Amino acid sequence: MNIVEFKNVSRTYTVGDHEQKALDGIDLSLEKGKFIVVLGPSGAGKSTLLNLLGGLDSPTEGTITVNGKDISKLSRDELAEYRAGYVGFVFQSYNLIPTLTVRENVELVREIAPDALDTMKMLEAVGLEDHAKKFPSELSGGEQQRVSIARALAKNPEILLCDEPTGALDSETGAVVLNVLISMAKSYGKTVVVVTHNQNIAKIADGVVRVKNGKIKSFETQDSPASVWEVEW
Amino acid sequence: MLKKKLLRTMKLYRAQFISMIIMTALGIGVFTGFNMEWYTIERDVDSFFEETGFADFRIISETGFSEEECRAVGEIDGVGATSRYLSVNAVVKDGTDVVAVTVSENPAVSGFAVSSGGEYDPESSDGLWLSDRYADENGISCGDTLELTYKNLSFKGRVAGLVKASEYLICVPDPTQLMPDYSSYGFAYVSPAMLEKIMGQGFFTQINVISDMDKADFAEAVKDKLGKTYMIVSKDDTISYSEAMGESEEGKTMAAILPVLFLAIAVLTMVTTMHRLTATEKTQIGTLKSLGFKDRRITLHYVSYAVMIGLVGTALGIGIGFLLGWYIMNPSGAMGTYIDMPDWTLHTPTFVWIVIAAVNVLLILIGYLSVKSMLKGTAADALRPYTPKKMRKIFAERFSFWDKLGFGTKWNFRDVVRHKARTFMTLFGIIGCTVIVFSALGIQDTLDSFVDLFYSGAINYETKINLDADSATPDDAEEIAEKYSGDLEMTLSVQLDGEAVGIEVYDIRRGLIRFIDENEKYVGLTDDGAYVCERIADKFSVGVGDEIVFSPFGTDDEYTVKIAGKVRSLTESVVMTRAAAEDAGIPFSPNVIYTADTDIAQDVRIVNTQTKYNIMDSFDTFMELMVVMVWLLIIAAVILGVVVLYNLGVMSYTERYREMATLKVIGFKDGKIGRLLIGQNMWLTLVGSVLGIPAAIGILKYLVKALASEYEMELAVAPSTYIISIALTFGVSLLVGLMVSRKNKKIDMVEALKGRE
Repeated sequence: MNIVEFKNVSRTYTVGDHEQKALDGIDLSLEKGKFIVVLGPSGAGKSTLLNLLGGLDSPTEGTITVNGKDISKLSRDELAEYRAGYVGFVFQSYNLIPTLTVRENVELVREIAPDALDTMKMLEAVGLEDHAKKFPSELSGGEQQRVSIARALAKNPEILLCDEPTGALDSETGAVVLNVLISMAKSYGKTVVVVTHNQNIAKIADGVVRVKNGKIKSFETQDSPASVWEVEW
Repeated sequence: MLKKKLLRTMKLYRAQFISMIIMTALGIGVFTGFNMEWYTIERDVDSFFEETGFADFRIISETGFSEEECRAVGEIDGVGATSRYLSVNAVVKDGTDVVAVTVSENPAVSGFAVSSGGEYDPESSDGLWLSDRYADENGISCGDTLELTYKNLSFKGRVAGLVKASEYLICVPDPTQLMPDYSSYGFAYVSPAMLEKIMGQGFFTQINVISDMDKADFAEAVKDKLGKTYMIVSKDDTISYSEAMGESEEGKTMAAILPVLFLAIAVLTMVTTMHRLTATEKTQIGTLKSLGFKDRRITLHYVSYAVMIGLVGTALGIGIGFLLGWYIMNPSGAMGTYIDMPDWTLHTPTFVWIVIAAVNVLLILIGYLSVKSMLKGTAADALRPYTPKKMRKIFAERFSFWDKLGFGTKWNFRDVVRHKARTFMTLFGIIGCTVIVFSALGIQDTLDSFVDLFYSGAINYETKINLDADSATPDDAEEIAEKYSGDLEMTLSVQLDGEAVGIEVYDIRRGLIRFIDENEKYVGLTDDGAYVCERIADKFSVGVGDEIVFSPFGTDDEYTVKIAGKVRSLTESVVMTRAAAEDAGIPFSPNVIYTADTDIAQDVRIVNTQTKYNIMDSFDTFMELMVVMVWLLIIAAVILGVVVLYNLGVMSYTERYREMATLKVIGFKDGKIGRLLIGQNMWLTLVGSVLGIPAAIGILKYLVKALASEYEMELAVAPSTYIISIALTFGVSLLVGLMVSRKNKKIDMVEALKGRE
């Protein structure tokens, strides 16, 4: 069953009197529960793809359906509700709230997500239950990223969107974070979309989407992807 | 190139720059304007006094002075000029208006300045030089004829010129009337020649003297020359001089508190804003440094922001100052009604320019210190972005209630603790707003309750009848009092410890006058002795139970009276009952009758009448002046509140931009984030008002004591003042909160969350 459907989706930005097509009429279907990697050089349109899917931005043309619901023409508040209920985000620069503790950062989502999961269970799952009372500034980069994964999953979203999640980490820490990400997504049955320019991450994915010049160049599925530890980082 | 950056950065941080300029302009403007007010009064009154020869001393005798006596006073060492002088209240025919007919033999002493019409002619036998204000209010112009009655004398005069006189700078018939009312009271100078024509002889009850002598020395010298003790009224005892200087003193007090508050807020806002600006630009400072720009050049660049703010703010501020000064000191405004002088040129005290220069230096210093702290160390150090202090647990987290708080409360709480300078400034702005609004309204309440107490509660008569001391005997007074069902009063001037003091002796039969004690309760006077007001008690260091000894002027009689209590008085006098006076041996010979009647028949024994309406009406003008000040202050407070809070709100918004973007991405709606931001403002506003109200009461107590001591007012604050000042402060805070939180919608989630190095 497809959880995500892009139909003839375009996104045009106007800079001055100059129009720039970041995405140019793409079609894409993603299956539920899969680990998808979107690969492409800078400026190819992969972040735009992720932003549209995450409800941070709306397409200029075409429709995007998530779980059977058209999200391409939602109002600001409806988009906020969509983000609260359907998607979890993980960014390269963790984006934790510095004035909230680890536990509070995760607990935060209970304010808006209707089916939020237990905070401490999430922290246990990412192995940070002992750091619950610390502030983000007291954690390492890898630990902060694991908090942000816990926060993203605590909303119990359908899809987990990750923009260069290991971009700011060294390769070893990156591997640990990816492992957490994959194992949690599998155990909770979540669809994961990772945007990256790191070719290695593609090796562990169920599917790889290659983007170039705002168009989808290829979409390959891998029946038996490698495990995190088999890949040379 | 850096010049371009200067302009672009100013555009980028325009909210901060504009608010800094407004704050500086407002601070300097209010400071300049308020100081201009008192200094202008002092200077212009001074030159008017100089021009028209305002007398330093007035020697008074009801029986009049001869030419020889006047010459003798002129021979005293240290006396500059003298003039025989007379001022009597005459009634305008077919009306109740009173005009003080005035003669000064030597026009260089207690003279006047002509505003239109003919110059003074000492030989004129029918010329009147009439108060231009009175003429204006009553539609009289040069060439008109005025018929006046004084006692049993009626005479006609032709208006030869319209004038202003320093002796009538504050033109009120007696001290109970606070403001001039030119529609019913004015003055007119006539020549000695005309006086002789009317009276058949020159009759002068005063010798007015210009002299730099000390009052005691002068009194001694006069006694030596004339062989008798006379009542001497010095410049300080006149309503014109003391009230005008009082107004100037009030101005000084006002200028010492509120404008300083504005300036302080401007400077403190500058500290937080400049620090914020340089902190945000720290990597740019590092970039410039690593490019090879010398520290000096970079410092100069950032200091020039402060210079720009200072220059523009100062220029606008001086403009606001002059506007404010002109508005308050407008000759056709309330102040112009109170003080009647020809020249209203604005003057600025020198120290104002020094303070303005100092504020500019301070702004530059703040700019310098802010950039200096960012430039510390190597270029690599400077390149590293500014990192705010690490988050630590705050005190409240040690308690169990903390865990039960919602996320928004925790977020706001920690933010407030983390950015102490910003929080402090926000509180300062809120407190400032509350204090100014509360004080402004509180002063009005105090005046209202004062008016109520005296004019609605203590004065129950409709008409005050002034009897003619020469033709009205005590029996006449009794007869008139019976006719109009009146209460009687005797006023006399006595000498107490060498000072002139008024004594008021009352025979109250119908309760048309009531007295107020220190606790603002109406009290009846007992016959046990005299009652003094607070000012007399202070001036002569006497209290209840003490005895005072005084003697009426022109006699050697001495009376001793015990002080039985204290009452509040408008006129600074000693008050007693007829029985108490007679016990002390003072004969009761009334010269004033109070009555509830309004229709008083012509009677040679009556000099003139004053209605309660005259007095109340003058108070309304006085209140109008206050209302203008109150409104100016409230407007300034709201501008202050909006500017300070908006500036800090934008600062907070910028600082938390990324956090808000994160909340938005997670799925928080704009409205919810807005409520979080406004929530913080509301909590700070609550704390600010709670702190602001007691501060305001403290300031008010000081202001009332400093400003209104001559009326012995007590602080009174109406419940509505509490409600309005709190509601207005919350309103301002809410308005700013909405203005800032509206910006939420513009948060670019994608841009904000891009990776940082």
